[in-house]
Amino acid sequence: MTTYVGNRVARVDSVDKVTGRAVYGVDVALPGMLHGAVVRSPYPHARIVSIDTSAAERAPGVVAVATGKDFPHLFGAAIKDQPFLAIDRVRYVGDPVVAVAATSEREAQYARDLVRVEYEELPAITDMQMALDDDAPLVHPDLHTYERGGHEIVPHTNINTLYHFERGDVDAAFAEADHVFEAEYSAHALSHVTLEVHVAVAQYDTYSGDYTLWVTTDRPYFLRDDLAGGLGVDGSKIRLKVAQVGGSFGAKGVPIAEAIAVMLARKTSGRPVKVELTREECLIASQLRVPAIMKLKTGVTNEGFMIARSADVLWDSGAYTAYTVGVAIRGSQTIVGPYRIPNVKIRSRQVYTNKAITGSYRGYGTTQVTWACESQMDEIANELGIDPVVFRLQNGYEEGDPYLNGQIMHGVGLRETIETARDEIGWGSVERKPAPHLRRGKGLATMIKPTLTPSSSNVVINLGQDGRVQVVCAAPEVGSGQDTVLAQMAADAVGVPIDVVSVPATDTALTPYNGPVASSRTTYHMGNAIVAAGAEIREKVLGLAADFFGTDADYLEMYDGEIRDENGELLITLKDLLARHQSEGYALTAGGRYSSTGSPLLKANPGEEWISSIFWMLCTQAAEIEVDTETGVIRVIKVAASADVGKAINPMTCEQQVEGGVVMGLSNGLFEDFKIDNGRIENASLVDYKVATIEDMPEIVPILVESVHNEAPFGAKGIGEPAAAATPPAIANALFDAVGIRIRDLPITPEKVLAALAEKAATEPGD
Amino acid sequence: MKRLRQFAYSEPATLDEAVAALASGGEDARVLAGGTDLIVDMKTERLPTSAVVNIKKIPGLTGIDDLGEATRIGALTKVTAIEGSQLVQQRHPALVDAASVLASPPVRALATIGGNVGRASPASDLGPALIVSAASARIRGTMGEREELVEGLYVGPGQTSLTCSDIITDFIIPSPPVGFGSGHVKLGKRGGGTDIAMAGTSASVVIEDGVVRDCKIALASLGPIPFRAPTAEAALSGQAPTEETLGAAAEAAAEDASPIGDVRASASYRATLARVLTLRALRAAVASSGGWVVA
Amino acid sequence: MTFRIDTTINGDRTVIDVDPTLTLLEVLREQLLLSGTKEGCGVGECGTCVVLCDGEPIASCLVLAGDAAGCSIETIEGLADSGELSDVQRAFVRTGALQCGFCTPAMVLTATALLREDAAPDAEEVKKALGGILCRCGAYPKILEAVLEVSGEGA
Repeated sequence: MTTYVGNRVARVDSVDKVTGRAVYGVDVALPGMLHGAVVRSPYPHARIVSIDTSAAERAPGVVAVATGKDFPHLFGAAIKDQPFLAIDRVRYVGDPVVAVAATSEREAQYARDLVRVEYEELPAITDMQMALDDDAPLVHPDLHTYERGGHEIVPHTNINTLYHFERGDVDAAFAEADHVFEAEYSAHALSHVTLEVHVAVAQYDTYSGDYTLWVTTDRPYFLRDDLAGGLGVDGSKIRLKVAQVGGSFGAKGVPIAEAIAVMLARKTSGRPVKVELTREECLIASQLRVPAIMKLKTGVTNEGFMIARSADVLWDSGAYTAYTVGVAIRGSQTIVGPYRIPNVKIRSRQVYTNKAITGSYRGYGTTQVTWACESQMDEIANELGIDPVVFRLQNGYEEGDPYLNGQIMHGVGLRETIETARDEIGWGSVERKPAPHLRRGKGLATMIKPTLTPSSSNVVINLGQDGRVQVVCAAPEVGSGQDTVLAQMAADAVGVPIDVVSVPATDTALTPYNGPVASSRTTYHMGNAIVAAGAEIREKVLGLAADFFGTDADYLEMYDGEIRDENGELLITLKDLLARHQSEGYALTAGGRYSSTGSPLLKANPGEEWISSIFWMLCTQAAEIEVDTETGVIRVIKVAASADVGKAINPMTCEQQVEGGVVMGLSNGLFEDFKIDNGRIENASLVDYKVATIEDMPEIVPILVESVHNEAPFGAKGIGEPAAAATPPAIANALFDAVGIRIRDLPITPEKVLAALAEKAATEPGD
Repeated sequence: MKRLRQFAYSEPATLDEAVAALASGGEDARVLAGGTDLIVDMKTERLPTSAVVNIKKIPGLTGIDDLGEATRIGALTKVTAIEGSQLVQQRHPALVDAASVLASPPVRALATIGGNVGRASPASDLGPALIVSAASARIRGTMGEREELVEGLYVGPGQTSLTCSDIITDFIIPSPPVGFGSGHVKLGKRGGGTDIAMAGTSASVVIEDGVVRDCKIALASLGPIPFRAPTAEAALSGQAPTEETLGAAAEAAAEDASPIGDVRASASYRATLARVLTLRALRAAVASSGGWVVA
Repeated sequence: MTFRIDTTINGDRTVIDVDPTLTLLEVLREQLLLSGTKEGCGVGECGTCVVLCDGEPIASCLVLAGDAAGCSIETIEGLADSGELSDVQRAFVRTGALQCGFCTPAMVLTATALLREDAAPDAEEVKKALGGILCRCGAYPKILEAVLEVSGEGA
C-alpha cells in the first residue's frame, strides 16, 4: 500500500519557487566575496604570443589576475585535455585565457578589458569533416600523451574517440535484403539555454589547501572529481555546496565557471570569488550539444522486416572532450533504435575541432541518432508502402527481446507507447488543406535510451525525535522534481506523512556519494536506496513500538506516521512514540545503497555486458503539423507524447518532463540554429538564438505507459531525457506526410522547407 | 551579469536643457527614451556611450492626441499605448499591427515610438508602418524645431539624418481619407511576432470607386533601412484590387527589395518573403479599407 | 555619483540613493536584496527579469535606476508578503506550473498583472501576455493551465 507514490503530490519545492525565496547559484553572496571576469579568445585557433596584465592589475578594485601558466594542469572527465585557463594556445573562440578578480563585477569587467593578449593565428579546423583530412592541423598535438580512460583514440590525428560495434554479418545481409536504403542525416549544435547562467563561487583555504565551492550542478560528485583530477588533489579536499539549479539539461556537469573561480580563489588569500558567465559567454563557451553527421544504411525484406543496418557516425566534440566520449559511444549504439535488427555494424568517430566545447545534452547522444533512425524509418515505410506505425510495430522490441549485446530486455512498453500515441493523434485521418496556402500532415517517431550503467546511489535517512524525516542525499533538484519524487518514496518507505519529509540541499561534506542527476537515473537509483533505508527505519520504529506494547514487530505496521496492529487498530502515533523518549533523546538513522552492478538483469554476451542498461527508456510521439507553403513556416498543432515510465511515482511531475521535453524538442528542431563562420558563433545572443515561447506551444497530450520493471523502486524507471528526442523526427515525418518533402539536416527551418518545396515542384509537375 | 560601463547621466527637465546636454556631450552622448535598444547597445558595446541624457522627465513628450486633421503621438509614447489605442487602430491599423508584434510585452511596455524610429534599425517594425501612414516627425535641435517625413529620416543601418543633439518630440500623422486602409505583416524566426523580423512589410491603400487611388508599401529587413517600394506602389496604383493586381505589386516589391543574407535569413529567402508578406500586407490593407480583394 | 529616488517598492514608499548607471534589476537584487527577480539574458529577450511597474510587466534589465523614481514597483517578494500565497501562486503550486523555477517569479507576476486587467482571459490572451517570458523547462502547458484556473476559464 502506498499513500504518496502514484499520486499527483504538489512539488515540495513549489512554494519556495513561486515566492522567489529559492536560492540559486546566482543568488549566492558571501562576506568579502570578489567577482571574476574572463578574457576569452577571439580566434578559433591561435598561439598566445604574449599576455600583458599590468594595466588590469593596476585597475581599481582588482585583487587577483590569473593566467593559464599559474596552474598548468589539465582536467577532463574522459580525457584530461582541458586547461583551467589557456596555456600557450587557444582552441576556440571563447576559450578562457585570463581571469580577473575584483571587488565588484563591474570593476572586474572593466579590468578584464585592459588585458592585452597578442595572438598568432593558426590554421583552424572549423568543420568536422575537415578534421579527418590527412594533412589537417591538429587541435591537440599531444592527444596521445593525455591521461584518459579506457576508450580508443587515434593518436596523432584529431580523432579523440573511436568505437566499433558489430553483430552478425552485415554485408551478407545487405546482399540478401530486398531493399537497401542509405542516406546521410545531420544533427546540429544546440545550447541548453538554462535560464540560470553558469555560475560558481570558490573559496580556497590557504592553510589546509581545501576548496569550498558553491555551485549549481546536476552531478556534484562527478564535478568534484573532475576538479580534483585537474587540481591534483584528493576529492575530499573539495567541498561542493549545491544551490537550487536554474535548469541543467546536462549543461551543468563539467567545470566551466567552476574552473575559473578555482583559479582565482587560489590567489585571493581566502576570499571567495564568484564567477558568473553572461548569457553570451554561456552560448559560446559553456557546452553545446555534440553535432553529428550520420550515414545510415538499412536492409529490409519485402515484408518490411529490417535485417541489416550499418551506421557511420561522425561527432564534433569541439575543442575539448568534456562528456562527449560517452555521447559518441553510447549514442551511436542507439542509432539502431528500439528495433530487432540481427545484423548491425557501427563505426563511431569523434573529432576535435576549433569550435565551441560540446557535451552532454538531455538525451546524451540519443537526440542526434534518433533523428537519423526515425527519419529513415519513415523513408523506408513510405517507400515500401507500409504504414509507418505498422513498420515500427513489427520491428519493435517486445518484453524479453535481446538487445544488441544479448541482454534480455525487461520492462519494455514500446508497443503501448506507439499504439497510444497513434490513437491520440488520430492516425490515418487529417484535414489536408485547411486554406489554399496551408497543408497539414501527421508523423510519428519513437526512441530508445539506456541509463548510465552501472552506477550507484547512497542515502542516509534520519528520523529525528520531532518525527521529522531527512532524506540526505546528493541529488540536487535541477527542476525535474526529484526532491518531490524522492520525498514521496521516502514517505511511503518509512510510513510517514510527506510534510515531515525534507530533502536537504546537497553538500558533499554531508551527503553521501551519488552518481549524476543525469541519464534519467535518479528516481530509479536513489529510489531504490531510499526504499532500502526507509524500510530499515520503519523496522526500527516498529521494533521500538513492539517493545513498548510488548508485542512482536511482525504484527505492527506504520502508515502516514500511525502505528497500527494487525487489525488496523491505531496503537500510537510515531510522534507520541518518539516523545516517550524525550528525556534521553532519540533519533534513528539508516543508510541505503543501490548499485546496478551485478544485477542479473545486466547479463549479456561475454565482454559486452557494459552495453547493458539496468532499465530502458522508450518514448513515442505523434505530431500533427501545418505548413505554410508560401513561407515554409511550420506550426505544430498537436503532439501526443507517450512515454514508458515504469511506475509513475508522481504523474504530474512525469507529465512535466514529457511536456517539457516536447517543448524543448520542438524548439531544438525548428528554431534553434547557430550561425557559425570560421568557428565563430555569430548569433551569440537570445536575440538571434531563438527558444520556443508559450506562443509556440502546441496542444501536448502526455501519455504515461507503465510497463513492469521488477528491480525498480515501486516499479519506476526514468523519464527526464527521452521526451525531447522524438519530437524533431515526428515533426519531420509529419512534414513529409503534409507536403512530401524530406529534410535530413536539422534544424527544419522555413527556408529549408521552402527550398525543398521549390525543388519538388521543379521535379514533379502538378499538384 | 554583463555590467554597464560607467557613463555620465543626466535627467534634463526641459527640451532646451536636453539639447544642450547632448550638444555638450558630443558624439558619444545618447538620448535615453525607452532604453530597450540603448541599454542593449551599451551592454553589447555596439556603440561607445559616454553620456546618457534621459529625456523622460521632460513633460509633454507622451500621449496620443486627436488633432482632427492629424493624429499626434508623443515621441515617448510607449509601444503598448499605441497597441491599445482605439484612435490609432481606427485611423492607422498598420501602426497597431506593427506595435503588437514589436518584441515582447515586457519590452513593449518600455519601448517608445521615438526610440524605435531614432534607433533606425533596418528591421524596425514601426518604421514601415509610419512610412505608409505618411507620418512625419517633429524634431527639436540646436537650430530650433523642424518637421520631416519619417521616411526621410533613415540614412543607413542605425543611422538617421538627425544630428547628435536632435531630439524627436512627436509624430504627426495626417488623418486618412475615406477608403484608406493599412496593414503590417512580419515574419520572425519563430514564425511570428516577438522576434526581430526576417522581413516585414507595411502597406496602405486608398480605394475610391473600387480602384486603388493611392498606395504605399514599405519594407523592413529587406534593405539597409526601412524604405518604400516605388515599383510595387506604381504597379497597384490605378488598379482594381484583385488577387492578380495585388500579386503583381507583391512581385514588384520583391524587385524593389535589396535584401542581404545574415544570421537571420538568406537574401533569397528574404526576397521570397518580400513578395509573400507584401501580398499579405496588401490584403490586410484592402480589408481594413472596407474593400475586398476580388479573387 | 548617486541620485536620490523616491519610489514605491511592494507597496512601501522607498527613498534611496542609487547609482544611476545601474539597472533597476541590479538595484533590486543587490541594493534592496530582493533576489527573487532573476536575470536570464540581460538584453530583454527572455523576460526572466520581469517586475511590475505601475502594474505593467517590464524587463527590469533594460531600465536604469533613475526611471524607477515615482513608480510603483512590484516584485515577487511583494505578492505573498502577508504570509499567504496569492491565487496565482496557489494555482502554480497546485497545477505544477514550474520546474526549475527560474522563470517562475516573472511568470507569476505577469499572470498576476494580466488577471488584474482582465479577470477572465482566454488561452490565447494568456499565451500572448506570457509570450515574452522563456521557460526552458517547458512548463508552458501547466503554466497555461494554472492561469486559466484562476481566470475561471479553466473550470
